[in-house]
Amino acid sequence: MKKLFFTSLTVILFFGYGILQGKTPESSDQCFVCHEQQGGAADLFKKDIHFQKGISCAGCHGGNSNSDDMETAMSKSAGFIGIPKGDVISQRCANCHAKKEMMQKYGSHLPTNQFDLLKESVHGKLSTTGKEKIVQCITCHNAHGIVSVKNPASPVYPTNVPNTCGKCHSNAKFMQTYNPSLAVDQVAKYRTSVHGMLNAKGDPRPAECSSCHGSHGIRATADTKSMVYALNIPETCSKCHSDAEYMAGYKIPTDQYAKYAKSVHGKALLEKHDVGAPACNSCHGNHGATPPGVESISKVCGSCHALNADLFSSSPHKQAFDKEKLPECETCHSNHEIVPATKAMLGVSGDAVCSKCHTETKSTKGYLVAKKMRSYIDSLDASEEMALKLINDAEQKGMEISETKFKLRDAHQAKLEARTMVHSFNEEKFKEVVVGKGLTVTTASITEAKEAVDNYFFRRYGLMVSVLIISILAFALYLYIKQIEKKQQTKNA
Amino acid sequence: MKKIFKRGYDYLDERLHLEDLVHFMGKKYVPVHSHSIWYYFGGVSLFFFVVQVVTGILLLFYYKAGPDLAFESIQYIMSKVQFGWLIRSIHGWAANLFILAAVIHMFSVYFEKAYRKPRELTWVTGMLMLFLAMGFGFSGYLLPWNELAFFATKVGSDIAGAVPIVGEPIKILMRGGPDVTGATLSRLFGFHVALFPGIFTVVLGIHLLLIQRQGISEPLHFGELDPKEKKTMPFFPNFILRDLLLWLVMLNLLAILAVFFPAELGHKADAFGSAPAGIKPEWYFLFMFQSLKYFPAHILFIEGEVLGILLFGAAFALWLIVPFWDRKTARGERNKLITYIGIFVIMFVIVLTILGWVA
Repeated sequence: MKKLFFTSLTVILFFGYGILQGKTPESSDQCFVCHEQQGGAADLFKKDIHFQKGISCAGCHGGNSNSDDMETAMSKSAGFIGIPKGDVISQRCANCHAKKEMMQKYGSHLPTNQFDLLKESVHGKLSTTGKEKIVQCITCHNAHGIVSVKNPASPVYPTNVPNTCGKCHSNAKFMQTYNPSLAVDQVAKYRTSVHGMLNAKGDPRPAECSSCHGSHGIRATADTKSMVYALNIPETCSKCHSDAEYMAGYKIPTDQYAKYAKSVHGKALLEKHDVGAPACNSCHGNHGATPPGVESISKVCGSCHALNADLFSSSPHKQAFDKEKLPECETCHSNHEIVPATKAMLGVSGDAVCSKCHTETKSTKGYLVAKKMRSYIDSLDASEEMALKLINDAEQKGMEISETKFKLRDAHQAKLEARTMVHSFNEEKFKEVVVGKGLTVTTASITEAKEAVDNYFFRRYGLMVSVLIISILAFALYLYIKQIEKKQQTKNA
Repeated sequence: MKKIFKRGYDYLDERLHLEDLVHFMGKKYVPVHSHSIWYYFGGVSLFFFVVQVVTGILLLFYYKAGPDLAFESIQYIMSKVQFGWLIRSIHGWAANLFILAAVIHMFSVYFEKAYRKPRELTWVTGMLMLFLAMGFGFSGYLLPWNELAFFATKVGSDIAGAVPIVGEPIKILMRGGPDVTGATLSRLFGFHVALFPGIFTVVLGIHLLLIQRQGISEPLHFGELDPKEKKTMPFFPNFILRDLLLWLVMLNLLAILAVFFPAELGHKADAFGSAPAGIKPEWYFLFMFQSLKYFPAHILFIEGEVLGILLFGAAFALWLIVPFWDRKTARGERNKLITYIGIFVIMFVIVLTILGWVA
């Protein structure tokens, strides 16, 4: 009891003295005491997370915050720098934020690599004036009144990020000072996207600028380390879209990346590193990302596969697909898991996609056309295979047949053309390519290769005859020499 | 038939006095001994040279020199021209056999010491022809303008360029510029079909003239024999007919090689392409190419490769003038050192060629 009494008395005396002196824990910062009376920055600072953690104004501005003498407090000898300018700003932040022990001192578990990332980023490397880098910490986080990223009032809270970035990126006048070719409609497009619309409704989970571009370490899209470099896009999108738990509330599948990786596009991009191959954004858009609707699929695919799209649009299938509300390319080729188109897709048996709609009893005309088209391509394949076999045979026999071999490439070209022409679904046009071009070439190649093989045997027989003639001649000469020498010996004897 | 020949012969004899020539040839004799077989290799070399001239002229009807045409024209010869493949294959094989026969001929002359006085000039002209034959090989190798030929010429001319002082000008002379280009092809084509054949014909003429004038060399031990013990055969018709018989055998060999192992063409030369793996020169340059690999990077103050080239140059020079420094043989004495040097050279060439071949 006695102990409790003395403890209470000590506390009352301590705070009582403080109150009499006009000091609260925060008012021990003499800078704040004076500047509070002037309003402005000090008012904002009251809400600042740094203020709440007990960090004084001197933490950023320097000086002696314990002194109530203005000259002492703001003397250069005490390290006072006034308002930090240019690159000094980020440096002041880094004084604590890049040091683990400092951050731990204030009970923060924030990463300490932001400053390094910023220095490597496009924002930390470029400069418009040549004196300072484009972006300082305060550009996005504000100066006084900095709050936690998790606080909806923060300019870098997910729902505020688009507008924060847009302050510069939607400002054409500002952007043209260092990159006139960069578009300034990203935020406007973003607002039309599924991500943007949900974000505007206050949902912090859908992707905003930093989800795809990163926050401190943003790099140019052409930079191979950028999260949105062509090769990295599928993985960037899959961070959320393959996370079933994260996507739970949105009722969309999460196997797109797995399917894409198996597709012809995915293999070209991810395995062959062909940066021209389509990634997620090629079909869905990037800032205005949205699933292409039934109507627009052929336009999206047609932006690369232009001939196929044109042929399809003028084919009888166009009308039929529109009527049935079938997505054009996707119906036969699927969407994310687009496998290489082989002849197996054509025809009426097995995996042929034509048989999905055309059967012997339903849509019979299409059934017959598909069957015939398949038979043409099968004939071309068989003929090409035979030509190749004969050419190889002739080559192995040492015959010069490179011209025929070169010519046979046209058969392969005809097959590629047929792969496009099939989208016309016109038997005559298809036949013209496969039979008119392809089979003509393979037939000529087979004839030439056969001639080369025949020629090989002709050479062997020719050699046999000539060796025989020369040998007979040599033998006759030998006998003649013997005869002469015999005569000479007889004469000499 | 005989009458027609006789009338023809009489017609020529009346104007050219052929009888003198036949009489002269009939009086020429070829020594017969255990090493007589080697006498035939001169004739065999001549036969292959004639084959080269004939097939070369035939190829010239279709071959087009130039980086855009050379490869294609050879392709055309191989696939479209009637018996073009045969002519090219024979040209390729006869080139190799020509050099082989000439090398055998050269060594046989060396070991028989047939170069000794008074045949020093015959030896020198023969050696010059051997060098020219190698020049024919080197210049002809590039003409198909294929990958292998392109890089082999590059490597070969680089080696020539490594010779101090004169190397660089020689390289430029060979290439027609600092690199192997179309200019090199035109230049080597000119060497192959005009310059070398011209010089070769003159040297060959002198060589044959000297042989006819001085007769066939007798082995050293013939000098110790009684004239009655010396076995000989008439140059005409015996030796000539035997030569002809061997030529027929060689023609058969050529035909078999050309049909069973026809000349290949490979891929067209691409200056920007990478050199094919395991690039090697023709077999007759292989021993030098392989030897240079064994030289260390530096020997004292001189680069290993340069020293190697200089050593080969000196060795060839000594070999060329062997009749002038082998005084002992010239005096009619046996010089075993020359034989040992010859055996060493043959062993060296064979071993290094095999090592180069399997490398």
